Formats: sequence, structure tokens, C-alpha cells
Amino acid sequence: MTMLRTPGRRVLAGAGVLALLALTACSGDAAAEGGDGSTGRSTGGSDAAEITLWLNGTDTPQALRDYLTDTFAAENPGSTLVIEEQDWSGLVPRLQTALTSAEQTPDVVEIGNTQAPTFTYAGAFTDLTDLYEEVGGDKLLPGFVEAGSVDGSVYALPYYSGARAVFYRKDHFAAAGVEVPTTLAELGDAAVALQAANPAGVESYSGLWLPGQDWYNGIAWVFTHGGDLAVQDGDTWVGALSEPEAQEGLAEVQRIFAEGTKAPKDADSAEPWVPFNNGEAAMFSAPTWARWSIDLPECNKGVAPDDESEEATALLAEQQACNEEKTGVFPLPGLEPGTPATVFAGGSNIAIPAMSQHQELAKSLLRIMFGEEYQTMLAENGLIPANSDYASAMGDDPYATAAVDAALGAKLTPAAEKWADVEGDRILEDFFQQLASGADPATAAAQADDLITAALG
Amino acid sequence: MSLTRPDAAVPAPAVPPTGPPLPVPAATRPARRRRRLPTLGPRLLLVPALVAIAVGLGYPLVRQLVLSFQEYGLAQQFGRPAEWVGLQNYRTLLSDPYVWTVIGRSVAFCAVNAAVTMVLGGALALLLHRVARPARLVLQISLLLAWGTPVLATTTVWQWLFDSRYGVVNWVLAEGLGLEGMRGHSWLIEPLSFYLVATVIVVWMSVPFVTFSLYAALLQVPTETLEAAQLDGAGAVQRLRRVVLPMIRPVLQIVTLLQVIWDLRVFTQVHVLQRAGAPTRDTNLLGTYIWSLGGEFSMAGAMATIMLVLTLALTAVYLRSVLREEEL
Repeated sequence: MTMLRTPGRRVLAGAGVLALLALTACSGDAAAEGGDGSTGRSTGGSDAAEITLWLNGTDTPQALRDYLTDTFAAENPGSTLVIEEQDWSGLVPRLQTALTSAEQTPDVVEIGNTQAPTFTYAGAFTDLTDLYEEVGGDKLLPGFVEAGSVDGSVYALPYYSGARAVFYRKDHFAAAGVEVPTTLAELGDAAVALQAANPAGVESYSGLWLPGQDWYNGIAWVFTHGGDLAVQDGDTWVGALSEPEAQEGLAEVQRIFAEGTKAPKDADSAEPWVPFNNGEAAMFSAPTWARWSIDLPECNKGVAPDDESEEATALLAEQQACNEEKTGVFPLPGLEPGTPATVFAGGSNIAIPAMSQHQELAKSLLRIMFGEEYQTMLAENGLIPANSDYASAMGDDPYATAAVDAALGAKLTPAAEKWADVEGDRILEDFFQQLASGADPATAAAQADDLITAALG
Repeated sequence: MSLTRPDAAVPAPAVPPTGPPLPVPAATRPARRRRRLPTLGPRLLLVPALVAIAVGLGYPLVRQLVLSFQEYGLAQQFGRPAEWVGLQNYRTLLSDPYVWTVIGRSVAFCAVNAAVTMVLGGALALLLHRVARPARLVLQISLLLAWGTPVLATTTVWQWLFDSRYGVVNWVLAEGLGLEGMRGHSWLIEPLSFYLVATVIVVWMSVPFVTFSLYAALLQVPTETLEAAQLDGAGAVQRLRRVVLPMIRPVLQIVTLLQVIWDLRVFTQVHVLQRAGAPTRDTNLLGTYIWSLGGEFSMAGAMATIMLVLTLALTAVYLRSVLREEEL
């Protein structure tokens, strides 16, 4: 009878599955301890048990998962680690249910960096301040530590970060006589020049693919000019898009919207490589793993997706090499030549739910995850590791270099308790869409600021 | 409430409604009920259904009501005590002009969608009734397919059709009909055309139910009556208005009632279209607005209660007449 049942039912269904999982994952002492673990109280100590780690999506490769289960079992005789993969979509309602129950909660949980403040403020996680120095201290990605901290205590540690870089068609740049831009302003010029030249000769050709709702990319201009989404004023957060620094960046974004892109105003950052592969865009900005989605028609070898023969593998490698030869990549440039822009950081935090009945074992797992070996493995798989000391293991191909450069200056959404509400209300999608539709940046920003302030207050 | 009704089953002397309880109905009604429920058996048979309703519907409803009088967010979910705030949530919501905008939009959207659905569904039902068997079969299968496709799949397909860059609708308009202005047209960015697309999807999925229900009702209309009317000189329109419609009125009413309820609480289609690139704040309806309050369970609960009251108010007229029909 009420709309609440739509999301609610999904939560309940999720809870049902979790309950089933918990039946197999729970050990005998699960209910023995009380629920209040917020002070990181030791439970169990050397008691052997089975603990559960939730990882989201397929970002963590199987080899790393195997390493974790094997190492954990070796270091904690008698105990075992079970890794359960969760889907990113619907993760928040699932966590809202699971983390409140001592029977159903995982013992270590990965959470999106923009979701971390909400759960941290809610008291969902164990205080890890004691562990902080031991697992890396100020070597850990600072923005992510901030996202998981409240009042000087750390509750959620960084897990990995992924950064955005700009992919471009080398042949289009050459045909239009455009050089790879070295500053943010030059990037805008390049987008406009490319679109005017239209080297591909197709209808609705974009210099830079920038859809109207794509605030994940658009916000980089605000960050790079020194602006922010919201700033803390005493105890309250206020929207900061009207500040002069932000306005400078937004004016540049609006120029690209007007003259440098033909991307639809009613689309978001999903699948930017589709128009790129179609030859309808010279550049797009995306996380560096987008390299695997580039599939230019002139390179395509027509291999069936399920063909795993040797011949097919060789052809696919050839195809990928061809794609990467025709495609260049660079980190979004900053205000001065040679500096990277401040882009929006994507990535995850990792935390121990306060309700977990195996706090010591969970901490033991965190120590393994923050060890040199695991951090290096993350880096080797193209993820920027939590501890910046090990980022060099990412290698020095252009994608890794672009990723590391971009990640160094990357910035997160404000670590405000209610930031999730701003995303839930889709205030920024609406705001950038208004910019794309030609709204006055000052007026639109004032409106968006009011909404952000109201949502965060 | 039926005791004072002049049209109640038992002929009752006309008395002012403020008068004392009527002796006649009071005496006869229990007797009639005893005839209907002679033993305990039928009542026992009701128990499973009642338990299911109490657990499945009653508990969430009570919880929602309780929540709406508390301050209950994520922190409370994690054990912080929930504070009672009385009517604060309702006051906050009802004093927000945006909430009234959303309510207004939802009622308008519901009225248009329910009306269009009923008219189209009714017309198709009449068509089904008239055409030859092969055509009827094709029509019925098509309707079943449109109805049986999961709502998410349907919405996604329609969303692709209306895609601004690669959508078939824009392609046909621009290439086929030569409307150059429609090339790359964004259907979802203006609230009105957003609601047009949403209406197309909602109506597409609701028409089959209305058609089948009304078609079933039409089959119950005795041909003798229609023939008699025809012999008396009634034309086709007159037969429809004076004979057919009054005979299928109960079905018509209950289908309209359901349609109004469904269209008022529409969620999936609007949510998916919003995610496809519409401005969210300008296109929120009650369902998606409550969803966006998600993190604040108490606010969402209060808004859902407001919506419940609204639904009951909008359907009160129908509910009353439906209940009356059942009593007869």
C-alpha cells in the first residue's frame, strides 16, 4: 500500500539471503558476546572461527582473494576466511540491514568511499585508531582516511582507489592538428577545436564526450580551480558551488557543454566508450580500466566473446594492441603545465562492523590486507593501493602513469554525515544538467547550494 | 454505516439519520448473518488469510506509523535511541512547498494515466468483443505479452526507443519524417515530455488488465437483453450507454479504483526514466520522492503515511460504492 515497500522488499529479500549465508557462516560463539563492539573490544582472541569478508563487484581479482584466504588460514590456525562477493547496486540498503545484526554482519566489509561517511557517523564500524599507525599511518590515501573518520578517530581505512584519465583518438588529433593539452584551459580549447574540425566527418561529433549529468567528470574543473562541493562552517556544512573558484571552473565546463560536446544533456557517465568506438567523440574521461572497453571497428578481429581457443586469444591480444596504439591516454591536466588536475577519486574503504563477533580475527585480516605483499598485488592489478609507498608497483605503462598521476591529487566528496542524501536527491546531476542546458552558472549554483545545505543540515 | 441507508437490503422506514438505531435492521441483520455463517468452519477458514494480512501488511503499516512519529535514521538503525518527535515530521513535510508540488504532480499524473488507460482499455475490450476469432486471438496474445513482460524490461526498451542519440523514435522523426529539429532531441529533460514518455509506458502496461477485465464483463451481458434493446429501436451508442455500461458498472468501478491506486503509487517506470537522465527534482512523483528520503526512515514513513491518506481520500467515493455493491 505504500511505496516504502518497494525498497523495503528488496532489503527483506536481501536479508533472507543473508540469513541463509549467516547460517553457514556463523560459528558457535556468534551470540555469546554483546552487540556493543564500538570500542574495538576484543572478542574471541585466539578462538578459532570462520570470518566473513564482503568484497563488492569484481574489482578484486580471484588471485588476490585466494591469497587472502590462504594467508589468513596460515596465520590463524584453525580459523578460516570466507569471501562473499556483493553487488555494488543495492549495497547501501543491504548494509543497513546486515550491519545492524550480530548474526548477519560480515566481519570485514568493503564500502564505497562516498558511502563511508554515512555509515561511519551512524556508528556502524569499530574504532580502528589503534591500528591506524600500524597499517600505514599517513602513508594511507588521505582523502579516504578522512572519509572514514569522525572526530579524529578512524573507523574505515582506505582499500584502493581508481582514478580517471582522458582517452583520446590519436588519428583525430592529428587530422585536426590538435596537440595533447597540457593545461585544463588547453583541454577546453582542444575539445572546441576538435569538434569544429570534425575530422571523422560524422554527424553530432563531440570534441570531448561530456553528457549533461556527468558530474563525476565535471566536478574536476571545480576542484582544480580550488573550489569545492561543500565546506564546513563550524558545525554545519554549506554548499560551495557559488564561490568564485568554483564558478571559474564551472564557466569552463559550460563552455565545453556549449561548444565542445554533442553528448546528450539527458545522459550520465555510463559507457562513454560507445560513442568513442563509433568514431563520434575524440576524447572521453573515465576510470583507467575503461581501456578494456575500447573496441575500434578498424581493430576489431571479429572474435566471438565465448571463443577461448589459442587462435582467438592471439587475435584478441592483437586487437587490444591495435586499440591501444590508436588510443592515447593522459591525466586530466591542471592549471599549470605539468601538473595534474584535481579529479574526483573513486574507490573503496574497508572497515570492521561494530557488530562483528570476531574483532581480533578481523583485525588480523586487515593486517594482511595492508601488508606489503597484498598492497603490491593490488597495484599490479591496476588498482591504486591504500598505501602510497606501493603505488610504484603499478608499472610505468601510460595507463598506470596516468592513473597514478591523476590519483595523487584526487579529491573525494565532502566527508559530511549526510552526503549520501545529496547523492540520493541527485542534486549534482540536476545541477550539471542545468549547466549543460545553458542555465546561468551563478543562479543555478545558488539554487544547488541551497539544496546541498538543506540536505547536509 | 449501512444501517441508515435508504437502499439497504431490508426495507426500512424513512427516519432522520440522527435518530436512534433502527429496530428493524438491527433485528433482521444478525438473523441473516447466521444463515450465511451457520458454523464456525468458515470463520476458521478466514484465519490463515487474516494472519497473512496482519503479518505482511499490518506489521509494516504499524511500523511505518510508529516511525513517522520518531526521529529515526541510519544512526538509530545502529542502536542510537529513537526520539519521539510527535508530529514534527509531518509538520516539516507539509510546510515544504516542494512536497505539495510533488503531491499535485502525482494526482495530475494519476488522473491522466488512469483516464487514458480506462478509455483505451475499454475501447480495446469492445473491439475484442466485436472482431472475428483469429483477430481476437492475435489481439489477446499481444495484450498478454505486453502485460506479461517484466516492468523493468518494458521500461528499459521504451527508454531505448526514446534515447536521444541512438533512439528509434528520434531516428524515425528525423530521417523518416524529415523533422530535423528532432535529431538528438532529449525527451526526458523537460518535465512535460518526461511525463509523456512515462505515461506511454505506464498506459502500455496497464491497458491489458483493463481490457481483459472489461472483456470478461462484456461476455456476461446477455445477448437477449441487447437484442431486445435493438428491437425496441436503440442504436449502437444507446445500447452501449443505456444497457452495456450499467451492466458492467461494478467491474468498471473496481478496475478504475485499482487503476487510480496503481497510478498514484507508480514508482519503477518513473525511477528508471529518472536514472536514464531526467532532472530528478523536477520530475519526482510521490513514489520516487519517498525513495529519495530513503536514509531518513522517519521522514519516509511520514511521507508514505501522507500518501496512504491521499490514496484513501481519492478512492473513498469508489470504495464506498464498491462496498455498497457487495452488501446488496
